[in-house]
Amino acid sequence: MVKKNKTKNKGQSKRQVKRWSIHEKVFLVLIVTILVLGSLNVAKAKGWLIPEQPELDIIDGVIKLDTMTLEQKIAQMVVVHGGTHNLLSWKNMQIGGIHLFALESPELYKDIISQFQQGMQVPFFVTVDYEGCLNPFANFINGTPVSEIDNIGDAFAKGSKDGKLLNELGFSINFAPVVDLNDEIWGCRSFPGSPEEIADLAEAYILGLQSKDMIATAKHYPGQTLVVKDPHKYIVVATIGEEDIYPYQYLTKKDDVASLMVSHIITTGEINSGGIPSVVSKELIFDLKEDYSGLIISDEINMLGLKDFYPTIDQMYIAVFKAGNDVVLNFNEDPNEVYHMIQVIVGAVDKGIILEEQIDNSVRKILTAKGFNVE
Amino acid sequence: MKDKKVLVVLNFSLAIIAIILVLNLFEFEFIPLGKAVYQPEEMLCVVNWQDNYNLWNDINSCCLEVRKQLSCEKDKAYYADKTVNWRCQTGELKYWLNDQTYDYCKKTSIW
Repeated sequence: MVKKNKTKNKGQSKRQVKRWSIHEKVFLVLIVTILVLGSLNVAKAKGWLIPEQPELDIIDGVIKLDTMTLEQKIAQMVVVHGGTHNLLSWKNMQIGGIHLFALESPELYKDIISQFQQGMQVPFFVTVDYEGCLNPFANFINGTPVSEIDNIGDAFAKGSKDGKLLNELGFSINFAPVVDLNDEIWGCRSFPGSPEEIADLAEAYILGLQSKDMIATAKHYPGQTLVVKDPHKYIVVATIGEEDIYPYQYLTKKDDVASLMVSHIITTGEINSGGIPSVVSKELIFDLKEDYSGLIISDEINMLGLKDFYPTIDQMYIAVFKAGNDVVLNFNEDPNEVYHMIQVIVGAVDKGIILEEQIDNSVRKILTAKGFNVE
Repeated sequence: MKDKKVLVVLNFSLAIIAIILVLNLFEFEFIPLGKAVYQPEEMLCVVNWQDNYNLWNDINSCCLEVRKQLSCEKDKAYYADKTVNWRCQTGELKYWLNDQTYDYCKKTSIW
């Protein structure tokens, strides 16, 4: 009886095996494949496949540049949008800085900045555009427009007040003040008066801001960014006059301002970008560096005008770094694209298109500004 | 027999999905079959500070500034007989966009 049952069971299991036809097996394999591929695609889209950079050897605040990988050095030169959805990717890449847009409350800024800085051996630069009328904190603080500041005392006081607020929130760089002349678009972003008065007011604001351990940024070199442009062109040519460049020359010669932002405008006249956008003009930036030791920051690089200037985006990336920008703003929301940019620059250094010495010089400036001793 | 046919169709569809997922994973770019054309002339970005309304022709920079704002809401205003129907702001400074500009901005890599 027992023997009969066993034979019956064997027969049943044989029949069960036979039920899996080739189509059913293929179906199962495909389902599993799609689940795996789907998960990989999601992980990639979230930036989870970007490899984590190794820990740095930092002893008593001293960083040895030759212990950093080339990827780590280049990542330090990049400022991205500090969205918390990309927090892990930016941390894994050891990106140099995050830029924050408008948020609802000071608590939210503090919380997000704290999340980013937590556990970082080299802290992020935390950057913002807090000018006065351009005010990401407008939801909770009124900023005085610089167009209403007409004396040095008030300019210093505003700089000091802004610096105190930014420091309390956790920021390290303010992309202000604007020292371009003739604000024809907003009517509130430039200081009033002659180029000489603007330079004096900007200097006082910068000294006030920097007295609170903030890095100020004079922008947008070499000027003419607040004027109405030809609507049919993405990138325009502007003629820079002596008066446009005066505030920049005044501030850089005195080495008052810790950083300077370069625009995408093609310039002729007093400052000639050689027929290409200022931000990718090696001649323009290296000339600037001869008299100025502060950080050179690129304007945000995802502008269509700048992209359209190059046959491929990789060529644009190389041009921006090769031109000598110390800090490159890339607010692309896809961490894979930012990682790709870093890989493109690694490749350009390996091929000798960009000198590693140039990268080292920029990273040295950045790490020094972050309070490290660099060897 | 009927089940077999269903499975064949299913497997074929799944195989196509798997191929697309592989291509996407390795960032294969398809040749664009069509591209939305945005005419700069049709795009409007108006900067509004207090009582001043000024046209900002640099649409890409406008998109970046708009992206930095706390909110964008449907609204309606007129600038030189043209309608702008998106209002983006954090505080007193406002950016007014028409639909074309708003759609264009939303498609840029910074959004």
